[in-house]
Amino acid sequence: MIICRSLVSASAGLVLSALASAAMASSSPGGYEDICVVDDTERELCLSAPAERIVALSPSVTEMLFAAGAGERVVGVVSFSDYPEAARSLPQVGSYDRLDLESLLALDPDLVVAWAGGNPGQQVERLDELGLPVFRSDAANFEQIATTLERFGRLAGSADIGDTAARELRESVAALGERYVDAAPVEVFYQVWEQPLMTVNGEHWISRALSLCGGVNLFADEAPLVPRLSREAVLAADPEVIITGGMGKADSTWLDAWRQWPQMTAVARDNLYFINPDLVQRATPRLVEGTRALCQHLDAARERR
Amino acid sequence: MLPVNAADSSATFRPTRRGRPLGLLALLGVVSVVLAVSVGSVALSPMELWLTLTGQGSSLHQTLVWELRLPRALAAFGTGALLALAGALMQVLLRNPLADPYVLGLSGGASVAALCAMLAGLGAALVSASAFAGALVSILVVFGLAHGSGSWSPARLLLTGVVMASGWGAIITFLLAVSPVEELPGMLYWLMGDMAYARSPWPVLVIAALSALVLVPLGRTLNVLARGGQQALALGVAVRPLEWGLYLAASLATATAVTTAGSVGFVGLMVPHMLRLRLGADQRLILPASLLAGGCLLTLADTLARTLIAPQQLPVGVITALIGVPSFLYLLHRSHGKG
Amino acid sequence: MAVRPASTDQALPSCSLSCEALVIDVPGRADGQPLSFSIEPGSRWGILGPNGAGKSTLLHTLAGLRAPRHGRLRLDGQPLTDWRRRAVAQRLGVVFQERHDEFPASVLETALIGRHPFLRAWQNESEDDVQRALGALEHLDIAHLAHRPLATLSGGERQRVSLATVLTQAPQIWLVDEPTNHLDLHHQVATMALLDEQASQGAAVVMCLHDLNLAARWCDHLLLLYPDGAACWGPRDDMLVTSALERLYDQPLSVAEVDGAAVFMPRVASSLNSPRPTKEVSHDAHVPYDAVPHDTDSEER
Repeated sequence: MIICRSLVSASAGLVLSALASAAMASSSPGGYEDICVVDDTERELCLSAPAERIVALSPSVTEMLFAAGAGERVVGVVSFSDYPEAARSLPQVGSYDRLDLESLLALDPDLVVAWAGGNPGQQVERLDELGLPVFRSDAANFEQIATTLERFGRLAGSADIGDTAARELRESVAALGERYVDAAPVEVFYQVWEQPLMTVNGEHWISRALSLCGGVNLFADEAPLVPRLSREAVLAADPEVIITGGMGKADSTWLDAWRQWPQMTAVARDNLYFINPDLVQRATPRLVEGTRALCQHLDAARERR
Repeated sequence: MLPVNAADSSATFRPTRRGRPLGLLALLGVVSVVLAVSVGSVALSPMELWLTLTGQGSSLHQTLVWELRLPRALAAFGTGALLALAGALMQVLLRNPLADPYVLGLSGGASVAALCAMLAGLGAALVSASAFAGALVSILVVFGLAHGSGSWSPARLLLTGVVMASGWGAIITFLLAVSPVEELPGMLYWLMGDMAYARSPWPVLVIAALSALVLVPLGRTLNVLARGGQQALALGVAVRPLEWGLYLAASLATATAVTTAGSVGFVGLMVPHMLRLRLGADQRLILPASLLAGGCLLTLADTLARTLIAPQQLPVGVITALIGVPSFLYLLHRSHGKG
Repeated sequence: MAVRPASTDQALPSCSLSCEALVIDVPGRADGQPLSFSIEPGSRWGILGPNGAGKSTLLHTLAGLRAPRHGRLRLDGQPLTDWRRRAVAQRLGVVFQERHDEFPASVLETALIGRHPFLRAWQNESEDDVQRALGALEHLDIAHLAHRPLATLSGGERQRVSLATVLTQAPQIWLVDEPTNHLDLHHQVATMALLDEQASQGAAVVMCLHDLNLAARWCDHLLLLYPDGAACWGPRDDMLVTSALERLYDQPLSVAEVDGAAVFMPRVASSLNSPRPTKEVSHDAHVPYDAVPHDTDSEER
């Protein structure tokens, strides 16, 4: 397998919008042309044939590979890769933040999909040095999730499934946007964590998902992607709705903590909503499902006005 | 009254007793590196290991042994050796058996610089370079402040260093508090110390070898320095240059170790201590023994760290403390009996 | 005694230590009287003075361990600062009052550091060095403790280890801070006899002493150091002037004669009325404090 990789000198936005067409042009089924894609760190990755043994280095990447039709080719994952069900039984190569390079190599992968924002840089660089083809993924919004699905499909020889998944995702998002285009705005506090109290800023996909159906993130202007807040700031902002993922799938103890301030609008109207964090806190196609759930909560809040 | 008894006691005197412990430790060093190379997430049979070592194994095994396990084992050995040596030197320099390589704030400086580099999104090589630079800055600041007014003493150096360390600690906490959540795991692992960050074993091995060449011949002089600066001066030791030399050597050793593997704790404090409990305080024995024993400890600890709950990986600092603390307490308990 | 004479197998000739207008640096105190004297081979000097007068400071200054405020020292005629520390240590040994035993060591190891100035960095102690150290331990009655850790010794035993270390060093000039500290009467006498023996073999001995009577019995020269920095020095008999000593310690003294030598005892309050013994002051030496015009006072204040 011939591998070439080079840094593409173009801005991220340009690359992301251009790469779908570029990638499509170079892949002809059954042919011997290289499959070339540009990853989320602007590196070009070329495979001489579709990848057959893929290792995914984050739970989100695993989800997206499965969604792009490459599930059967995934031979290794990291811990907490619990979706879809089939991923649970795959061999693990450590956790996303501490990789076991040895067991990774032992799987003899022909493609490693890393998480640019989460895996230790040193260890990913080590994979480069060992000559493994590495795709660095860092999807952070609907459009990037869609292009990721397209690129994954291309790399795994399942371009049709990947493209379909991407199209469906774009259509669902567009449909949501149309449905809520005139929806009354609802001021929302999305709680990521309890101690310390954390939320998301306007750049985060959760904030964008909320704004899709009329949610207004009260802390959209904070500088960090995941700002830490004082409880005072939240009381002062007085959100109409508080949504949190809690620590587990059915854990809503964080919401109960707000009930000691009945003067808050969200508490007074009982607009305290729990959402499955796996649906919104991972940037994967399931975010559409999560967004629908968020929108339903906002609808419920509008009815309580 | 004299000669018979005198000749008897001298027959058991030190110089003859130095070879054996060092030989044993060197042997243990070889064993620990061989063990580190043989064990991992992927099981190799002795036959496969032999074939790989003689250059005939499968390409996967070649990669595992030569590109993953051996460099990491050697880096662990060198890092442990440097930390233990630096600890032994700091203890003599500060005339305080409780000193460790980090007591003067050096790892704090390295950590602050490394965390800043991570925050700036710099690559692994630049994080290492920043850590080294941070360590150097810390060395120079402490040197300057402790040296500045002219009146100088180990106590003053210790105080300056400890205060600097607290300052760095505050900055580290601040950086952790304001850093993006997604950067935190990497930062925390760096602070804990982890051999997975080792890029090349050569810096630690070269510095360890150089330190051994320069410092081991100074052993007897350090024995005299351990009796106090005035006493050493009265016995002809050039105390001031020696102390600054010690400070710089220990700092350079620590900086190299920290740059390679983050702030691995415990080794620098405990290894010289454990050795003194077993072997006495003769620096001619303690310094080379620290190099070897520190190397062994970290190599073995790292082997455990990457295999104990594989494929999950543990930070090596956890293991050094987990195996070091009980063995230290055991030695302490036993030596107490001997009085 | 079993120990070999320390000086005979030492190739170094006798040394003298002299100071020229030396003013020691006691922080927070005005310049004291400049000291000018020479400590010749074979002499036994005692430095007397109350607590805080600067006895240890003077001793450390004489050893070159701290810089004087003014004046200078000469070792064998050469300024002390021109000597390499190692060469100084081959000639001059110091017994300290304070010790640093943070790190474990055996008695023999401790005595052996006395050989440090004579060994190159990479050299180990030879059999001969070990024999010297053992001889020194023997001389101080602690050979049986040779392999004991320092931490297990009594204060007096530890003091004798310090003396044995310098005996192993076998210097031509001994500077001893309180040689009889922690020692019982027998070992006080043995220690003074050891220093006396060193002097009679050609060494110069300088010691800080608390015990006036030990000084009177074992020293041939005395230096009286007053808390304000004033000082006087000279042959013993010229210095043992009761009024000067009373002024030195700010303590009335009684003098008795025991075995043909003067013995000084502090007088308790009830006997203050008894007549003060007087002695004629001889003026051929530097004169005791109360006999000189207080010319230094004007400089100080």
